[in-house]
Amino acid sequence: MPRQNSRRQFLAQVGAAGAGTMLPTSRLVAAFGEATKSKSRVVVARDEALTKGRLSEHRDLITKLLDAAMQRLTNAPDAVGAWRQLFDPGDRVGIKVNTLGLYTQPAVVDAIVNGLKQAGVPAEKIIIWDRFDVELARAGFKLNKSSQGVQCRGTDAEQVGSGYERQIESSGRIGSCFSRIATRQIDVLISVPVLKDHNLAGASLGMKNFYGAIHNPNKYHDHNCDPYIVDVVSHRYIRDKWRLTVCDATRAQYNAGPGRHPGFAWSFGGLIVGTDYVAADAVAADLLDTQRKVKGLKALADDGRPAKHISTAAARGLGEADLGKIDRIEV
Amino acid sequence: MDDLSNLFCQPTRRDLMRWGVACGAAGALCHIDIQHAFPQDVAGGLDLAGPRLKGVVRHPAMFWEKLDENRVKCVLCPRECQVADVERGYCGVRENQVGEYQTLVYGALCSANVDPIEKKPLFHYQPGTTAFSIATAGCNIECKFCQNWQISQFRPEQVESIPVDPERLIAACKARQSPTIAYTYSEPVIFYEYMHDTAALAREHGIGSVMISNGYIQEEPLRRLCRHLTGVKIDFKAFTERFYAESCAGELKPVLKTLEVLKDIGIWLELVVLIVPTLNDSPDEIRRMGEWVIEHLGPDVPMHFTRFHPTYRVTNLPRTPVSTLERCRQIALDAGVHYVYAGNVAMHPSENTYCHNCQHELIRRLGFRVRFNRITDGKCPNCGTNIPGVWSQEQALAFKPRT
Ligand SMILES: [Zn+2]
Repeated sequence: MPRQNSRRQFLAQVGAAGAGTMLPTSRLVAAFGEATKSKSRVVVARDEALTKGRLSEHRDLITKLLDAAMQRLTNAPDAVGAWRQLFDPGDRVGIKVNTLGLYTQPAVVDAIVNGLKQAGVPAEKIIIWDRFDVELARAGFKLNKSSQGVQCRGTDAEQVGSGYERQIESSGRIGSCFSRIATRQIDVLISVPVLKDHNLAGASLGMKNFYGAIHNPNKYHDHNCDPYIVDVVSHRYIRDKWRLTVCDATRAQYNAGPGRHPGFAWSFGGLIVGTDYVAADAVAADLLDTQRKVKGLKALADDGRPAKHISTAAARGLGEADLGKIDRIEV
Repeated sequence: MDDLSNLFCQPTRRDLMRWGVACGAAGALCHIDIQHAFPQDVAGGLDLAGPRLKGVVRHPAMFWEKLDENRVKCVLCPRECQVADVERGYCGVRENQVGEYQTLVYGALCSANVDPIEKKPLFHYQPGTTAFSIATAGCNIECKFCQNWQISQFRPEQVESIPVDPERLIAACKARQSPTIAYTYSEPVIFYEYMHDTAALAREHGIGSVMISNGYIQEEPLRRLCRHLTGVKIDFKAFTERFYAESCAGELKPVLKTLEVLKDIGIWLELVVLIVPTLNDSPDEIRRMGEWVIEHLGPDVPMHFTRFHPTYRVTNLPRTPVSTLERCRQIALDAGVHYVYAGNVAMHPSENTYCHNCQHELIRRLGFRVRFNRITDGKCPNCGTNIPGVWSQEQALAFKPRT
């Protein structure tokens, strides 16, 4: 498979150039996908039809939309090629959804699973996860702790080896126990947040989503969750495994998050997809601010809750936060 | 995990219903069938067999205000967390559900032991008696040297607990003939509602209540609580804002305020200072702390300087040298504090109590054991000086806030 050879050669080259320092996987992949470009690419894929009705009625459309976004993201000639650029059949993939408050739509996750299968990842090696079984179930995910099919479970599913590590991990200012799903049960992460406002962090997006991977997120809400969010995703358990963000913007919320607040519901009908997870969050936050402006609300930064963690992540070299330097593609 | 299973009789119907609510409704987090969790295995009318649960207990929280968009502001502790719907406060045990603030740990005990009161440590509170000591998960600060971090720094659904309502706790306490309930180990301020209700009921049953706390609490809840308590121990972490900020994720100022309020209330109070080498052990800092205690609390509030052991997130520092504790003790004595102890140092003479007037040895301790106690009617038998403290259960239960 020339695809894999070229990718591995590239990884090897970067590894050599990096003199032993570990670059975030997402950047490696982004660089590989866009070998001739320096810009981080983020695809905003939207379909008017998705803004109406129930999402479960639009499963095929969501799959098509995501596949199209993946093609644009990777420049691959077809969807299979796009998914294969990012995922190998041997990968154990964790899909980190967000089921606290306004939750990730199962139909979006189905489309991701479909893509992974196209890349040859066996269903049994895919885990859809968040903190709690009960929250996953409430969001409409079908729990599966058997050895067959796509796995779906919370970190609290200790009877199947989940739970938190007992060892405290330090990363920057945080000291946390990580979910064993992230540390032991998967090699690759896909972050699938919801495009939504957050009363402290400004926006709850791809990076903030990994507060659900540690045991003590409540300790890290000061200063708009900054730099704590970046400290969490900088840890090797996240940073080295993270390959893709698919931000679920089918049913978004532009204010009063992260809890559900129908008064601020926003059927955007789209997905925000990127391998540079800082860039993906920057674009998503920009969409959020644009919508707030349309609705006559203050920008997040002017409302006392700037999404500072996005620029902090960029300053630490995790990705691109400058919208002017991001290759933003609308599909 | 402590010896929980032997301490309590069968759960009451109310205990089970509370957990049932947790299991069946929003936020249901436990997975053990309640019917099987507490089999009818009662030995001697006391013991309780069966697995413990990981879950939450939902109970209305006290001391919070409604904000817009279903947000709430907690005014229990100085953090004043503003908490959005579905989110929790810093402590991890108080949660906003659609604009209503709830405690998740009402009676969810993760620790319960019958300890010598000296272990709290309270040295001037009924020496030689026991305290029925309990805790739930959670804390409102984060000391990087926390000795109990496996419960204080976790959320209730992450630690094993058993549900015990105030009535059952008091029954267990009576069965063990403990005159006192100690709210301790993690941080009792975060299980305020349970502590408040239990302490109030305990008094009616002739049982005292002591809070072993970091002092991170607002004035109004503290005053209301002290109507029911009979003693308080405060962990005085250091005398610099820097230490509180960098080592505890907290602030010194609110703790000083708490100490002044406790002095005003007039409840029995002892202070513990865990001395961490290089971080809070400078002679100047201890001197200023001692002087502050004298000025604001008076000479009769005992101080305990205790020994640090490397743990949790501070593993790169050595145990506190005994000589450092001796130095701290001397500085506080020189500042005018009457009763100063060195703690976590077994067999050290500074564990004993000496009359501040005539230096007569009043109480000799061996670790947490009392070898003898010569205090008679609250007085030194040698010179007749009144020795500050709570020397009987009658005296404990007679306490009423001065203000
Ligand atoms: Zn005397």
